[in-house]
Amino acid sequence: MTDLQTRSGGPQGRAALRVVRRRRGLTASDVGVLVLTAFVCVAIAFPFVWMVLTSFFPTDELFDPTRLFPRPERATLANYALLLSGSNFATYMVNSAIVSVGSMLASVVISSLSGYAFSRYRFRGRQVVMVAILAVQLFPFVILITPMYAFFSELGLLNTRLGLVIAYVAISLPFASYLMLGFFETVPRSLDEAARVDGCGVIGTLFRVVLPVAWPGIATVGINTFILAWEEYLFAKVLNTDESMKTVQVGLANFFGEFTTRWDLVMAASVLASLPTIILFAVAQRRLVSGLAVGGVKE
Amino acid sequence: MTLAAAPGRSARRRRAATPYVLLAPTVVMLTILFAVPAVYNVWLALHKVTPYDALGEGDYVGVANFESVLANPLTPLSARNTVVWLAFATVALRLVLGLGLAVLLQHSVLRRMRVLGVARTIVLLPWMVPPTVAVAAWKWLLDGRTGLVNKILLQTGAIPEGIPFFADLTWVWPSIVAVFVWRELPFVVISFMAGLQAISAEQYEAASIDGADGWRSFWHITLPNLRPIIAVIGLFITIGAFNNFIYVWLTTGGGPGTFTQVLATQLFTTAFVDNHLGGGAAIGLLMSGFMLVFAAVYLLTVLRRGDD
Repeated sequence: MTDLQTRSGGPQGRAALRVVRRRRGLTASDVGVLVLTAFVCVAIAFPFVWMVLTSFFPTDELFDPTRLFPRPERATLANYALLLSGSNFATYMVNSAIVSVGSMLASVVISSLSGYAFSRYRFRGRQVVMVAILAVQLFPFVILITPMYAFFSELGLLNTRLGLVIAYVAISLPFASYLMLGFFETVPRSLDEAARVDGCGVIGTLFRVVLPVAWPGIATVGINTFILAWEEYLFAKVLNTDESMKTVQVGLANFFGEFTTRWDLVMAASVLASLPTIILFAVAQRRLVSGLAVGGVKE
Repeated sequence: MTLAAAPGRSARRRRAATPYVLLAPTVVMLTILFAVPAVYNVWLALHKVTPYDALGEGDYVGVANFESVLANPLTPLSARNTVVWLAFATVALRLVLGLGLAVLLQHSVLRRMRVLGVARTIVLLPWMVPPTVAVAAWKWLLDGRTGLVNKILLQTGAIPEGIPFFADLTWVWPSIVAVFVWRELPFVVISFMAGLQAISAEQYEAASIDGADGWRSFWHITLPNLRPIIAVIGLFITIGAFNNFIYVWLTTGGGPGTFTQVLATQLFTTAFVDNHLGGGAAIGLLMSGFMLVFAAVYLLTVLRRGDD
């Protein structure tokens, strides 16, 4: 992303003219661009800002028809306290955390193996497998959910965290394998050969020598898988229906079902449900942006 | 050491097997989770099965599931909604807005005033929010009685009583599209920004020497250069939108009545609310068939044109 910032030559691209104008300050069209950008940013951020803001105020303050914005002195953490003590939301959070961390770890390990195979070996069927893996990524989940429910039911994986981990790892693997392949390609092969000469087997070479060098790949795959697992709704809704096994997105969706009268609580739940992904995005924005621009297309 | 020192036949064979061993976990998982269910889906579509039946249990009904789906008066409505509102409206809006935002963020004044980083992070913000949360935030904002939008409209006297945006026939689709586009726009913006980066500054300079203004260089340089990426992103997000379940399901559940049903929600309702897995599987097969044909036609026309 840094090159987005440093490279010049915007679409208007009147470079020579611009050098002159830069010395004179802002032109009318510059001001227009700044105003438009500010307007767009406010419009995009507003639903989010409103969600965070209102999560700190009691219902009566928010529902007061005479008042558009709540008064600062009524701000409170009561919504969060009630949510965590008076509902199962803490359980949902824990379930989601376990499922997301489990999926992340498993996906990193399994995609390292496949990415390494694609990167270091030329074998019969390589091309076919790579294309098949890519094709899988375009598979619509809503179509898979019916047969998968039948399978998971048969295997006793309904209402287990393990079941969701398996589903999420599978969903993450196509993209993760390609990402790892890309990162392994940046690690010189001489490193593998040196490790082999020193007596490392394939697995030892991969995990003790190559992976430590390709750690940006591990971070990218791990964060991607965590976010995928944390945000997923459909599989979690269908596969885990027990109250004790529900994930945070399903719990949140139930909160704002038909009988919503407590938007203050729903907004507090929304903030908690987006906290981990926002933190991860904040930490790894550049990495995720470049990674997702490569091939992560899934809605 | 032995392996490197004495590459005998068994060692060579072991080495030939290594990539397959490394790939095995991935291939096994994808086969079990994607390939087998895809095949099983065909079996389901030909049988009468409920979620409570064991695997492989159910009466063979031939193409009856397909017939009942096609005869269902709901199907044309949800097919139309899927195509018009999801696959067309959200895609067209995202392409136009995404292109506009990418070009806007590319403007040099943002870099000069050191606000590009902030602006880009804010544009990406909706992407950091889980879709479920995006729906919650918008349902609250547009709430029929206490939502901020209605409060403002009521206080300014623009409307006599609150509009239930997600239940009002005029407003429900625009509202769903708004949530969808808000959450899914950043990916398009990022992709187009990456595409804009690849256009060389020389092209613009040459155009400006020839006297082309901003609009002209946009039409004659920016758009033609971005066409491949617009084509690919367009296909991806169209398929994604066509299959999308979550936005309609969480905002309206297909209501009011069946007004906003789409194929994905009809599939889900048939399979898991009406407990008719075969019917759901049949809808799924029809959906993937339709998308396959669409993708083939799209690739043939768009890519063919790109070759000229």
